[in-house]
Amino acid sequence: MNSKRRGLPAVAVAAATAVALTLTACSGKAEDDGGGGSGGSGDTASEGDELVTGPGVGDDTITVGALTDMTAAYATLGASVTQGQQLYVKEANAAGGVCERDLELVVRDHAYDAGQAGTFYAELEPDVIGFSQFIGSPYVAAAKDSIDANQTTVIAQAWTASLLGSEYIHMIGTTYDIETINAIDFLMNEKGLSEGDSIGHVYFEGDYGENALEGAEYAAEQVGLTVVGQAIKPTDEDMTAQVTALARDGVSAIIVSAGPRQAASVAGVAAAAGLGVPIVGNNSAFAPQLLATEAAPALLGEFYIAAPSLPIGSDESAPATLAEAYTAEFPDAVLDMGVVAGYGAMELFTEALRGACDAGDLSREGVAAAFGELNAYDNGFGVVNDFSAPDAPSSLESYILKPDAEAPGGLVVEAEGFVSDLAEGFPRG
Amino acid sequence: MSDLLTKVREGLRPPAAAGSGAGSGRWLVPVVWLAIGLALLAFPFYLETFWLRTGLLAMAAAIGAIGLNMLSGSTGQLSLGHAFFLAMGAYGYCVLAGDPDGPATGLGLPPLLAVVLAVLLTGVAGGLFSPIAGRLRGAYLGIATLALIFIGQHVLFNAHDLTGGFNGRVVPRLEVFGFVFDAERIVVAGVPFQAMEKLWYVGLVLLLGCVLFARGVLRGRPGRAMNAIRDHQIAAGVMGVPVARYRGMVFVISSMYAGLAGVLLALVFERTVPTYFSIVLSLEYLAMIVIGGLGSVGGAVLGATFVSMTPLILTRYSEALPLVTAPGTGGGFAPGEVSRFLYGGAVVAAVLFLPGGLARLPAAWRARQRARRPAGEAGPDTQRNEEVPR
Repeated sequence: MNSKRRGLPAVAVAAATAVALTLTACSGKAEDDGGGGSGGSGDTASEGDELVTGPGVGDDTITVGALTDMTAAYATLGASVTQGQQLYVKEANAAGGVCERDLELVVRDHAYDAGQAGTFYAELEPDVIGFSQFIGSPYVAAAKDSIDANQTTVIAQAWTASLLGSEYIHMIGTTYDIETINAIDFLMNEKGLSEGDSIGHVYFEGDYGENALEGAEYAAEQVGLTVVGQAIKPTDEDMTAQVTALARDGVSAIIVSAGPRQAASVAGVAAAAGLGVPIVGNNSAFAPQLLATEAAPALLGEFYIAAPSLPIGSDESAPATLAEAYTAEFPDAVLDMGVVAGYGAMELFTEALRGACDAGDLSREGVAAAFGELNAYDNGFGVVNDFSAPDAPSSLESYILKPDAEAPGGLVVEAEGFVSDLAEGFPRG
Repeated sequence: MSDLLTKVREGLRPPAAAGSGAGSGRWLVPVVWLAIGLALLAFPFYLETFWLRTGLLAMAAAIGAIGLNMLSGSTGQLSLGHAFFLAMGAYGYCVLAGDPDGPATGLGLPPLLAVVLAVLLTGVAGGLFSPIAGRLRGAYLGIATLALIFIGQHVLFNAHDLTGGFNGRVVPRLEVFGFVFDAERIVVAGVPFQAMEKLWYVGLVLLLGCVLFARGVLRGRPGRAMNAIRDHQIAAGVMGVPVARYRGMVFVISSMYAGLAGVLLALVFERTVPTYFSIVLSLEYLAMIVIGGLGSVGGAVLGATFVSMTPLILTRYSEALPLVTAPGTGGGFAPGEVSRFLYGGAVVAAVLFLPGGLARLPAAWRARQRARRPAGEAGPDTQRNEEVPR
């Protein structure tokens, strides 16, 4: 039976392939004019003066992409960031949109999976002007070649120095290394840490924790501290072993570059063991839900968070307005740092779109150029950002926050935004 | 066994064709395959990048699933270490073909040679594990292979020079006899070809080769020996099948399939990241072969397509589906969650109602059709499923 089957289709395959190939003349993918690779500029809208537009810009809408994670490791952050962005889009459209067009946010949940992140990036990339959200620094790094080649502006929801260096990839605020340096500066000035002391550093394996560790080691070397590192995995939740080891080493302070659960465990175990040292976490190490757990008393003690902007619970006008609007829009949602990050990123992206519109160039090049102009951008969250230098974080400023059960979002300001001298001197290269 | 298969097939032929002499009713089968083949060849000319990437991920998954199916479905050996061998193929290729002056270790070998060596390397790794794979049976091997995942993850995260750590490393472009599979646009019949269009044909060739090789093994003497080991290892031993050697050999073949799948995945991803190669990936591969059909090559391909494409398609069309909500709108289930439910449900459904998996669907359907006809014409007993291990 095999021989019969084998002989039959040889000629047919060849003929049909030829037919298939000629048929491709009707393919939607075929190029009409052979003008390949121009990035899609050249459409002009009749708005009086000529406006250059590009991918993602239609007659009535501007499409912006958001690649988020709502199912896996960063589900909580992803949900807050996305809802913050949707809130901003709604407000902006109600106020008349941008460049006489409505904003449209297309969201894809990539579940922090390499296959899905790249695939959804590839799906959205041709049809959007840029991305106001891209969670997962490895996947941003994977898309970097395409981002640079297509001049697609991306705001990455990550604060790791490994993404610096592209004029199309932006992060809002300090990177983790700088944030950690500022945290150590706070400990030295306010919490009596002095030369010769040792500090414990509990950090995630991976770019978040390792980037923070770089900052800690730099600061320690500059001021004569010793860093005792404890690498953990995101799946480790009980920090008893780590804290016990740090207590044995006699540390005078602990820095936590991990998730909220790990931070809560560190604080709880340290309190239970009578290790009364100050603990500072990076901005990803806190979630308001922690204040409803039995770790709350420990967290309300000597526990601080270094963050790149004002907390949502601040009584300044921008955070207070956002908190009110967000609660009205999403009554069941949690107010956390992700809301500020998401809303702020969308606002920033829109600001760049407005700049590009005013310059008459709403193409990707125009948006990238508009970002380059934003060298003193202040969105009311207490930090002035500079997006004109791709090699440096947009700001070096950190706020020190303190958990407070009464405040919305569970955090209040302990120390106003500052840039330490150490952070100013941190070599970037 | 092959006699039996032929008989089954004779029996399954529609009665109309069965009456009119051998061969004349068979025209449908090659025509269907021809149509599928042509469609696959034509896809890059019509489909957008999203579908090509999705298809390529499915092809890579299919290659890996065929390998796992030979081990688990045909020989009855459970492996949870498949993700380790996928990672080994992916990272092996990166290291072998990587730029020697880059940030991570690279040997700068020609990419085609690197592909072959990466697959051989995973084979060697599988071979090193085969003394264990040869001795342990079924679920015990599964537990032993679990160790590979943890060792693999630790190395991937911490051997920075080799793997690039958490953020992974860039995958060198494939180059075959001077033709580079990169993002540079070349225009074929009016259609611009970029990385995914070019890689599509690489994927097709690799998948076809893997399917043919696996069928060759399974339908021949080794396949019968493997099934004998699965069904009754003592009987197999008594009949002269060297049980331990066969188990070790199948483990090596299965890891080489995983290695090749890893290389293809890496080429599609353009950057390999350690988080991908976790225990969850191994479980997804097991889901693929159970849903598709244990022990069958076609089943592995079908199951791989189902499992790897479902989350992508659900997420993309989440707006249009009931119960599934677009990310960020609150209420309902996120597409990622729904796809997990869906293939969790599919595994249960396959085990309960369709022990042969998707691959048995046509046969089961035809058997039902025939059962409705008057008795007496019924073919062989298709309820008995030879392809499911005890």
